[in-house]
Amino acid sequence: MTDPFTEMTGIPVRLDFTEDNEIKPKIWAAVDQGRVPPIHVNWDTTTNATISALRGVTVDLGDLKGLDKLLPIAKPVGLDGWPLVNTYSYVYVCAYRPEAFPDGAPKSWRVMLEERLKGRVALYNDGIGFNPIAVLAGGGTVKDIPDNMEPGYEFYRALKKNDPLLGEDPDFTTWFQNGEIDIACTISVNARAAKQNGIDVEWTVPEEGCKVDTDGLWIPKGLPENEEYWAKQLVQYAIGRDAQEKWCAALGLPPVYPGLEPPADLVGDPAYPTTPEDFKKLVRIPSPVLVENQPVWFARFKEIMQG
Amino acid sequence: MADTTSGRKPVSWRMLDAVDRLVAAAWPRGAHGMNGYLFILPAVALVFILIVGLGYMADYSLHELDLATYRLKDEYSLANYAAFFERPVYLRILGRSLLAAVIVTAVSIVLAFPYAYLMVRTQSAAIRKFLLIALFLPFFIGQVVRAYGWLIILGKEGFINSMATALGLPPLDLIYNYPAVIFGLVQYMLPFAVLLLTPALAAIGEEVELASESLGANWVRTFRHVLIPMATPGLVGASVVVFTLTLTDFAMPQILGGGTSDFIANAIYDSYFRISNLGLGSALSIILVVIGSALVALIFMIAGTGTLGISGRNK
Repeated sequence: MTDPFTEMTGIPVRLDFTEDNEIKPKIWAAVDQGRVPPIHVNWDTTTNATISALRGVTVDLGDLKGLDKLLPIAKPVGLDGWPLVNTYSYVYVCAYRPEAFPDGAPKSWRVMLEERLKGRVALYNDGIGFNPIAVLAGGGTVKDIPDNMEPGYEFYRALKKNDPLLGEDPDFTTWFQNGEIDIACTISVNARAAKQNGIDVEWTVPEEGCKVDTDGLWIPKGLPENEEYWAKQLVQYAIGRDAQEKWCAALGLPPVYPGLEPPADLVGDPAYPTTPEDFKKLVRIPSPVLVENQPVWFARFKEIMQG
Repeated sequence: MADTTSGRKPVSWRMLDAVDRLVAAAWPRGAHGMNGYLFILPAVALVFILIVGLGYMADYSLHELDLATYRLKDEYSLANYAAFFERPVYLRILGRSLLAAVIVTAVSIVLAFPYAYLMVRTQSAAIRKFLLIALFLPFFIGQVVRAYGWLIILGKEGFINSMATALGLPPLDLIYNYPAVIFGLVQYMLPFAVLLLTPALAAIGEEVELASESLGANWVRTFRHVLIPMATPGLVGASVVVFTLTLTDFAMPQILGGGTSDFIANAIYDSYFRISNLGLGSALSIILVVIGSALVALIFMIAGTGTLGISGRNK
């Protein structure tokens, strides 16, 4: 995405691969102390970006062109203006090893509780991507979220007896590659990348659904005026047709620019939602709800899993 | 030899003269009695920075996170400390960290002692070289790399389980649990323990042991009444270092624990970075510092700092 921008403008783009959770406090400290932030554009999860917006460290992107033409999912929910712009959505799919499921893809997330999968189930180590689904798998409904998460905690307590592994994106790939797990909740990008690298992994959207979320771009306050202008130009390019087509195809994720064709291997894949029907199978929790409740959910998740 | 008679001193000498003149200007002759203290200034400055940082953390720890703005509230409160005591998960994680620190310290010392003893007593240069290489080699391999190495060896599809399967045995759960974390930490801490024990053992003259034996003590009595007491400085030093490093370890629980055997350092990381709660992270850090310092102080109270050669008495 950045190479064509460089070709177009002559501005070299240097990529900083600091983990999203770790760059966040550095930017916050710089803005609070009146220093120039360490980066110009932050590629972030929408939840993290929303937290930064709530802290008031993001520049309003409302003056970008074509925002009104993007799909509704591009617009941040529950925030004033455009402190960030979502650039694509992604699904926390149920990834599995076909060899462990000879009868076909798992139909329900509850298979994670089966004794034969003891020690062979993996989740993110902060419960991200699974908390709302745990509520549904535990017998609750979407309406229970966020006020009644008890069915989810009950599901986690049952799952804990099955000794799940808790990790992060690279762990899932390694564990699948080593044949150490049979099923995991992970983003579809990981599962697809693993499959493209020859690892025997498939993914599905079980009957309870999967959580759908977004990533976005935002610009920190405190940049010199000219640098902020070019940072905005990069974001402007990122939400344009050309960048969205190439960038999202490479990631294998649905873009926010309307009318773009999915990559051939993802046509009709429920983990690549493009139609309202697809989104009905998925669970989307507005970022402000996530931001407000994540610390509590996180604490309860840890409490159960660290037992 | 440099020619000093012609009046042309070497450049290095002239530079040192310049430094002398500079020091004389900045540090009057009357203050020369304080020269020794001048050298500890950089260390004092580093400690001062640490104390300032701790002060900031103590202040942050007394402010609760406002979820509407994700900033700490202005009002002072003990909410973060209350959260630590009210949420069982934190006490469980702290207990797990402390237990690991005790186990790892004990096991490391038990394993390090014979290693260090053999290294200082062996008559064979080859054996000594081998032990030295084996001791220092792990220092060149980072903790994370070593942890991943254990994953390869102990993993469900790892070397040991492959062997077990080949022999018709059922696969073993050797990884992603608390014992795996303890195992990894012992392997990581062992060289530190050996390194700190070795000088203490080397300082015990071989003739002292011979004297003990010539007076009728068997090997066990010599070990108990001569070696152990005389090796106390090394034992105390090794215990303090291994205990504190284990108590504050992050990588081994993270990698070998499979996400279910967190230590307090992992909880601190989560608070700072995952849930952006600077106040809670600071409170956990302060609690860790206080408990760690108190336990080290306890060790020194029991063993005495004099055992490390820090007695405060003029010799």
